[in-house]
Amino acid sequence: MTREKMGNILVWILIIGFGAWGLPGMLDRFANGHVNTAYGSYIPWGLWISAYIWLIGLSAGALMISVMTYVFNIEAVKKVGKMAFLVAIATLVGAMMSVGLDLGHPLRAFSLILDPNLHSMMGWMAVLYSAYFVTLCVELYFAIKKEQARGEKQKSIKKILVVLGIWSIPLAFAFHGGVGGVFANVIAKPYWHGPMLPVVFLAGAFLSGGALFATVAYIWRPNQSKEEFLKMMIFLGKTTLALLILDEILELSEVYVGTFYSAYGEGHLWQQILFGQYWYTFWIVHILIGVLIPLFLLTAKSKSPGAIALAGLLIAGSFLAVRLNIVIPGMLDPEIKGIADAWVHSKLTFSYLPSIMEWQVLLFIVAVVMAVFMIGKKVLPIYQTAGDE
Amino acid sequence: MSELYTDILKNNFKGVAMSKEELSRVDEKLTLETDESRRDFLDKFSKGIFGGLIASGVVNALAPVQAKAKMDGSNLNFSEPFKPFDLPPETPGEDGILRMMRDIQRALKKPIEQRHWKMVIDLRKCVGCDACSVSCAAENKLPPGVIYRPVIQQEIGSYPNVGHVTLPRPCMHCDEPPCVPVCPAEATWKRPDGIVIVDYDQCIGCRYCLNACPYDARTFDFGMEYIDGAADAPKVFLGKEKAGKYETEASYEYEKEWKREGEESPIGNARKCHFCIPRIEKGMLPECVVTCIGRATYFGDGNDPQSLVSELIALPNAFRLKEEVGTHPSVYYIK
Ligand code: SF4
Ligand code: SF4
Repeated sequence: MTREKMGNILVWILIIGFGAWGLPGMLDRFANGHVNTAYGSYIPWGLWISAYIWLIGLSAGALMISVMTYVFNIEAVKKVGKMAFLVAIATLVGAMMSVGLDLGHPLRAFSLILDPNLHSMMGWMAVLYSAYFVTLCVELYFAIKKEQARGEKQKSIKKILVVLGIWSIPLAFAFHGGVGGVFANVIAKPYWHGPMLPVVFLAGAFLSGGALFATVAYIWRPNQSKEEFLKMMIFLGKTTLALLILDEILELSEVYVGTFYSAYGEGHLWQQILFGQYWYTFWIVHILIGVLIPLFLLTAKSKSPGAIALAGLLIAGSFLAVRLNIVIPGMLDPEIKGIADAWVHSKLTFSYLPSIMEWQVLLFIVAVVMAVFMIGKKVLPIYQTAGDE
Repeated sequence: MSELYTDILKNNFKGVAMSKEELSRVDEKLTLETDESRRDFLDKFSKGIFGGLIASGVVNALAPVQAKAKMDGSNLNFSEPFKPFDLPPETPGEDGILRMMRDIQRALKKPIEQRHWKMVIDLRKCVGCDACSVSCAAENKLPPGVIYRPVIQQEIGSYPNVGHVTLPRPCMHCDEPPCVPVCPAEATWKRPDGIVIVDYDQCIGCRYCLNACPYDARTFDFGMEYIDGAADAPKVFLGKEKAGKYETEASYEYEKEWKREGEESPIGNARKCHFCIPRIEKGMLPECVVTCIGRATYFGDGNDPQSLVSELIALPNAFRLKEEVGTHPSVYYIK
């Protein structure tokens, strides 16, 4: 059995498994709204918002691969531009589902696309995601058209793709830096507030999205020679490694500033992250699985494509823990000490562990993301390459 | 004891006592310069870094927050003109409630933009009985998990030097409310009379404002009910349906009828104290003021130098919570 076939079977099994497991959570969400979630009024955002920034980051990262293909003409990734668009679309769909299900009145959110409050960073998100979605679809359309065209026509489509690609660079910076801004602009939350967060968000997005793409390109390799394939994987591996190092430098800086004088500011929140109840999300899921093992795999002498793909999967998957560790700790401090004891209710507390229903909904969303990718791959000529891409 | 209070409030509630200069400003517009410099600069800088965000910065710089908001409340059904009613003749030493009702009547005769509703809470008189929290919940038919005015209680110090402090915390109706600009749906804004409101029909329930409020003053209506999971045996005892009548009663926040049914608003919305708009528009005091057994809560027009609240705000021991965040609350405390 080829790698691709095995990949197909495995992913479909996951889609069905996650979908079936997640379905009761979805039904619960539609029947009971937010009642069975673990977040409340003092920790208003939970797993779904974390998953949203995780998925939208993956999307932004995948988009950057397509920019490398169409704008920078990087040889190693010249045949995977369309697949990058597809990954970006699938993860964007997941991100929108995640944030949509988190809303109290999801249907009302559509009005934001036409009439957003531009004082609000979240208002900007509605505009930017709509623009992003349209851009991605148009880009994918032209990328496919380019394969079918010949001669002059192909050249003109190529130009269109360059223009669209250039446009998508500031767009990616805006919408993902902007998600960072959603948090960074909240002066009430010192852990979030500050100019670093948008930068950290962007670095994380490019890392996790690029890493995911290394896995996808490995399993569903395009029509290329063995050398081309090796070249592509090594390029993706090196890019991932560079981004991983950059991301870790930023993280180190944050931890260092946050903990050096631990008596002040956010020191106690970092204490919570590093040594609190959920220490394992940082040390095991993030540092061990998401940083150290991938670092080992990516720096290994052998440069095996399988190792690079595995490193990519570990980074991309475990990045949810990074997102959770950004979102949740920011809300752990009461604005006024003692408020949780003033009016006692399960929705008025300062502790948070996602409920089973929240995990189920997330699994369902992940199943949808994978299904969109698999169906898109099947119905669209993603692999078809004619002439030079 | 007063030293103890200063200590408590500074350390535990981050309250910063007001300067004398500030205290003397009763009829204020609250245009105090805030800690502009660093925080604002960083804010704008971080916004300005990224393409689309630059535009956001420009929009923010050009238009004040309120300018875009529907400040006239035209999409809400605000009341008919106020019809004054008779109050007993003024007598020396009368209950402050009567004086405050007169204050309200006077204020309501002015155009809306000329009054500024303010609340004063005398911490020395608050006994921490929770009557205000409960009456507010009853007035607004608040479901489980939604609270507009919790009373925070804290024991402080270490034995034998211990003290106890109680602090009712309504919405501060900030003059620079951080909860307003963050709302993507323009569903929350400040009225010309100072009250910060939520338009339930507009709110998408994103809970951004909950995070943005530095006083944890907003809670989310999760659609819960007190009778959730209650046993039901109508013949044996009252029965779930009858016991749950409270849940289906309409509330009249913002002078509109709200029934909590299905997924209808206010379920799925951010909710908060609105200074009892339906009551004050009719010349009545907010529910928490009239039910306060310690007579510790005062309400009135801060723009009226004759009003009781104006007198109290001018006291040297009046202060506002978390003055340092630059929100300029309309709620004052006396310690
Ligand atoms: S106290 Fe909070 S909810 Fe009330 S106006 Fe101020 S920021 Fe908004
Ligand atoms: S929860 Fe409602 S009022 Fe609050 S920011 Fe979101 S849409 Fe606006």
